[in-house]
Amino acid sequence: MALADLISPEVVKVPLTARTKPEVIRELAQLLLDAGKLPELEAPYDALLAREALGSTGLEQGIAVPHAKTNTVRTLTVAIGIAPQGIDFQSADGKPSNIFFLLLAPPDQSGPHIAALAEIARIAKSPTFLRLLSSASTPREVVELFREA
Amino acid sequence: MDGPIRKILVYVDGTEGSITAAQYAICLARFYRAELAALYVVNTRALGELLKARIFVKAEQEEYLRDLEQDAQRYLNHVRSLARKKGLAIETLSASGTVHQEIKDFVLRNRVDLLVMGELSSVRSRRDELYDEADRALRSVPCSVLIVKDEERVIQLYDSLT
Repeated sequence: MALADLISPEVVKVPLTARTKPEVIRELAQLLLDAGKLPELEAPYDALLAREALGSTGLEQGIAVPHAKTNTVRTLTVAIGIAPQGIDFQSADGKPSNIFFLLLAPPDQSGPHIAALAEIARIAKSPTFLRLLSSASTPREVVELFREA
Repeated sequence: MDGPIRKILVYVDGTEGSITAAQYAICLARFYRAELAALYVVNTRALGELLKARIFVKAEQEEYLRDLEQDAQRYLNHVRSLARKKGLAIETLSASGTVHQEIKDFVLRNRVDLLVMGELSSVRSRRDELYDEADRALRSVPCSVLIVKDEERVIQLYDSLT
């Protein structure tokens, strides 16, 4: 399943109001809760923080990919946030991150989880697409970018 | 003269669509008296890419590899059970590597006539043409490909198979 299938305006936030790594994760998890994609906040939030404790998912090029397995979702669930101001996510290149992909997957669906993460890894190699994403001003604009690209 | 379809391969990736595809492939195999095989590919290439991109740490890569190998057995067992319920023999195989390449290799090695796959992404982006493994498989295999849609009808067909 392509990322474009999983993304709709209600799971995209532009701009994020968070200022720190835990705040970004909580804000995106709350977005999923509000969209009816999560039954609760704390368990997935804790799972995401536990994964970050193993090593930051902040990549180069301003992308961060917080992700975790959790029994609180039945299918792969994705949220996207854009923070034009940049947020310190302890990224690999030490620069602030401004595009966040948050993924939650049930433990028995590793295949789709890995496919979605691999798609994000490829997106991270496209400076043009990343520039367009980081300059998007509405959730709908972000969704359209995924459908057109 | 042999029928038009002698050997069917269904690609199982754990999605609901691929299980529906397996049910349809079972119906087809019965109808055409064809041999049936099911293949799951552990996408080790993607795992390697994720480690390289630093999305995964090493321990996580190993954990996901174990998960995928367990998924492979679980889903292949499920498909085997679906076939057995209809009195059909099925060969189930797990491979690892690059998904579309493993599918293509299996088709060539086993002279598969028909590859059956679950529904593709409903939204097709230009990236899919280059990177989506199901999309690449259907373009690269030398045999005919059948994309299974309409889950409800397939389930009815499967259930009505005596």
